[in-house]
Amino acid sequence: MTRDDWLVEGGRAWCPGCGNHRVLGALAEALARLGLDHRQVVVVSGIGQAGKMPHYLKVNFLHGLHGRTLAMALGVKLANPQLTVIAVGGDGDLYGEGGNHLVHAFRRNPDICCLAHNNGVYGLTRGQASPTAGSGFRDGIHPGGTFVPAFNPLAAGIACDGTFLARGFAGAEEQLAGLVVEAVRHPGFGFVDILQPCVSYNRVNTSKWYADRLYDLAVEEHDPADPRQAMARVLEWPGAQDRRIPTGVFLRVRREPYERGFAALGKGALGRGAVDPDRFLETVEELR
Amino acid sequence: MTDLTVVLAGQAGQGLQAATRQLARAIVRSGYRVFASADVMSRIRGGDNSNRVRVTDFPVGADSGRAELLVAFEPGLVQRHLGTLVPGGLVVVGDDGPELPGGEYRVLRVPFKRLGGRNGRMVNTAALGLVAALCGIDRAALLAQVCSGYEHKGEEVVRLNTAALEGGYRAASDSGVEPVATLGSPETDNGRLLVSGAEALALGAVAGGIAFACGYPMSPGTAVLEALAGWSSRTRMVVEQPEDELAAVNLALGAAFAGRPALVTTAGGGLSLMNEGLSLAGMTETPLVVMSGMRPGPATGLATRTAQADLLFATSCGHGEFARAVLCPGDATQAFAAGRDAALLVEEFQTPVLVLFDQFLADGLWTVDGLEFREAQAASRWQGSPGSYRRYEPSDSGVSPRILPGTRGELVYADSDEHTAEGHITESAEVRVEQSGKRLRKLVGLAGRIPVPERYPDRDARTLVACFGSTRWAVREAVDRLRAQGQDIGMLHLPGAWPFPAEPFRQLARAGRRLVTAEGNLTGQLAALIRQETGMRAGPVVRRYDGRPLTVAGVEEGLASDGTGS
Repeated sequence: MTRDDWLVEGGRAWCPGCGNHRVLGALAEALARLGLDHRQVVVVSGIGQAGKMPHYLKVNFLHGLHGRTLAMALGVKLANPQLTVIAVGGDGDLYGEGGNHLVHAFRRNPDICCLAHNNGVYGLTRGQASPTAGSGFRDGIHPGGTFVPAFNPLAAGIACDGTFLARGFAGAEEQLAGLVVEAVRHPGFGFVDILQPCVSYNRVNTSKWYADRLYDLAVEEHDPADPRQAMARVLEWPGAQDRRIPTGVFLRVRREPYERGFAALGKGALGRGAVDPDRFLETVEELR
Repeated sequence: MTDLTVVLAGQAGQGLQAATRQLARAIVRSGYRVFASADVMSRIRGGDNSNRVRVTDFPVGADSGRAELLVAFEPGLVQRHLGTLVPGGLVVVGDDGPELPGGEYRVLRVPFKRLGGRNGRMVNTAALGLVAALCGIDRAALLAQVCSGYEHKGEEVVRLNTAALEGGYRAASDSGVEPVATLGSPETDNGRLLVSGAEALALGAVAGGIAFACGYPMSPGTAVLEALAGWSSRTRMVVEQPEDELAAVNLALGAAFAGRPALVTTAGGGLSLMNEGLSLAGMTETPLVVMSGMRPGPATGLATRTAQADLLFATSCGHGEFARAVLCPGDATQAFAAGRDAALLVEEFQTPVLVLFDQFLADGLWTVDGLEFREAQAASRWQGSPGSYRRYEPSDSGVSPRILPGTRGELVYADSDEHTAEGHITESAEVRVEQSGKRLRKLVGLAGRIPVPERYPDRDARTLVACFGSTRWAVREAVDRLRAQGQDIGMLHLPGAWPFPAEPFRQLARAGRRLVTAEGNLTGQLAALIRQETGMRAGPVVRRYDGRPLTVAGVEEGLASDGTGS
């Protein structure tokens, strides 16, 4: 299977040069490497440029509301744990509007892969600062520049007992595809923060800007089984220094996936066929 | 004819709800009907709570507004209820309180603290012993309920409560006070069930095939979720409490998309938060049942009390235009049917259905005659050639064949954006018009499934009182009383409000000379809805919006003072 087996042919409603093209390619590559059945994969997305992603893939999809990507993905997983669920959202979706869901997704650790397209800006609404835009970012709503520090999703992930935390870069497709494969295979919440330039609205974090700062944890001395080492690495950026930005797997630990806690998921059939009149009558009898 | 009301008054934390349920169940097992309503303050300990237990030998669903027996766990809780005591009624209160004001009632002083055992912890069970003696209730039936109620807490707790019950019983029978009634056990196995409105809704959900339920705690919606969670190991339902209402509704939509019929439980404030999700259910044509308890708003309002002020909201909430149904059951029997039918309707029409209830219905204990399990209509199956599946295929009914992701050889797409028949984003004006029409056409089918208004008594009357939801029995009984006084009056109750059953309503209402409404809100929302949907003017409106339920006396007085009953 090749990546082309997973890609829908035709146009993409993204700007030329947008990092999303590369992320899409990496995701298709990862799906091909994973050797999954198209019909067993559900991609859930929110609203934003990243939300369009599943339309370009040969998968089941649920393209829902802004911010609610992870909530819907969790619902899909709880309905049918056999499905491979991939949640795709932008930084506005996952870190802004849906921040509460992200915090609790780390805690719960459902067996879902989450890809966060992080370009620091809201593209669909024309360039406002996202939670990950650095302090001083100027846009139509902040003509004098923002004045709060950027959100650090990976640090939040460690603080909330996340089990798989990684960062990729849209410009490093091979590395990114590998991270996605690992995140999907991870039995728990596989989270990948994906840095990407926005060619239309982000004049600060350009490809060149990233290229000057990124390095791969895989070639340094880093033990992803150790949350303390992971925390030290995630605190390297964003922050005051802005010199080096680590990519790769920060943290990889094991914890029972969330859906295993539901006894009902062991055997329940899908659809309304699950209703059993006897069980209903037993419940009524208990109330008598 | 038996019509007896016992009031139990206690503080939060004194076991009032548990005792009320045990008492009511024992009385139902003895062959009577019971309706018990709760008046609960928004606090965990202390306060001034009371439950009114009405015992009859005829169908009942409202408080009579009077009481024969008042048992107050604390002396300070007596005063508020004295006004409802019938002449010669009996007050049972501790022997450590101040003198009660004079009146036409009898008083029995008992050592409540001592009867309640350790630190007075079993005061609620002691009160049941007192009630059993003073109402002539089968002591064994009551003891059986108390024992089964505390079984899970261990033998010692059962033993202590048995002693408290016996102690209370002896204190009353030894006092020489004349009992207020001799109920006995006219029937012992009539198959009737005592359930709270919340349990009835939950049972309906089980019977309708709901396999996934979630909600963020909010009174009065929580009770439904807790009932479902309590049964989940048997029913194999996935029940969860997500981080907020936004998560809840989207979790449910994700689950429904992937194949588990899903329910969210909430209250007005939570429903407000869920609005975008409701709209998404309409757009993606995903089955979703929303059970929302109305409570007095705006905002937090009176958090633990009752209201009927979300009717217009429920018929229109969620942005954009999409088909929905709104059911508003009038009692526990209808609540069960609404829960079950909502689950069946969402599967059939692939659009959200709201079940509106309120604290009065949810927390009330109702006697039901039997609950009917109903098989679902077989879903329309997709039978096309491989690769040709279109999730949003236009059709006359507006409903398209639905398949679940991962279960067939087809990919399934759902999109919040306007979409093509395949499910892909589009900005095409033609597709927009076609898909909008498809979604809205479901209203035609839904209109045929909404329960028709109930006319009581089933004959023409000069004045008709329209009502919806839990006011059904208060209005019905007020109508009985006014008819007994020679007034030509009847009730039109709506167990379903959307799509508004305009034609049946018009036909039933046309016969009357006057149409009025009785409803638990300030602005007359039902009257407004009737006018919007039928052009008929309803008024004046008997209204209550102080957080308490409409009562028989309240409706009766409201109709009399407006002169509409004459």
